[in-house]
Amino acid sequence: MAGPVKGAGRTARLALLTAIALTIFLAEAQLPVIPIPGVKLGLANIVTVYAMFVMGPGDALMVLSARVFLGAVFSGQPMTLIYSAAGGALSWCALCLLRKGLSQNQIWLASPAAAVFHNLGQLLAACAVVKSWAAMAWLPYLLIAAVAAGLFTGIAAQALIKRLNRARK
Amino acid sequence: MRTKLIAGLLLAAVAGSVVFILLRGRAPAPVARISRDGVLLEEIDLSQVDEPYSLTLEDDSGRNVLSVERGRVCVSEADCPDQVCVKQGWVSNGAVPIVCLPHKLVVELVGTGEDLDGGAG
Repeated sequence: MAGPVKGAGRTARLALLTAIALTIFLAEAQLPVIPIPGVKLGLANIVTVYAMFVMGPGDALMVLSARVFLGAVFSGQPMTLIYSAAGGALSWCALCLLRKGLSQNQIWLASPAAAVFHNLGQLLAACAVVKSWAAMAWLPYLLIAAVAAGLFTGIAAQALIKRLNRARK
Repeated sequence: MRTKLIAGLLLAAVAGSVVFILLRGRAPAPVARISRDGVLLEEIDLSQVDEPYSLTLEDDSGRNVLSVERGRVCVSEADCPDQVCVKQGWVSNGAVPIVCLPHKLVVELVGTGEDLDGGAG
């Protein structure tokens, strides 16, 4: 594992990660939409998980919030910012807790848990917007989707971290 | 140990969701309750609808056109950018509501006895 990077190196790395995450996010937005609102693979979260486990919570939060904000602006749907921000905040909190509890080989498990909290936050924001709990009926669908998508991105993040560690040696 | 706990919780969440989905679609829900911004606009007993008709709901945020038939309802037209409510199509049970986030519109199907099921409260 790399030690903490400081100064210009850190800034460059954060910018690079944000650019990668944003590119993945925008590329994924071009894929056909799954008929359940709010459901997608969330490939950009591979970067979030990487940043959280390799660089730390503060850096992960910076990459995440920059990507969420720029993603909403670039995709032309600024209204989605509320839902992504709420989901992002909750999943970041979940990742912070998981960071302490999981070893290097269990990182893949953090992603489905974070995805569950992301979808929960998203849905809570939606309920607040329409001022009704009726939208909570989507929760079971979103939970199943979150675990499935989270496992996918989690395994991808695990493989990424392992390979980058090996490359650095 | 922690891994098992997290994996167990995730598995429980998925299993619970599956059971919930299977149970919820079965309960009879003949009443369409339409609300916007948390305010109840209209309640339609879909079992009493004889002729299909459409209903236009309009305010500052935009317009949704509802199609109402016996036992089912859908948003047939909306001027929101995402069209999620239109793509959802016909809804005939209480499994999931139609939600138009840009217009803060919710169309949920409930049973006749449910008065305070998270509606206009």
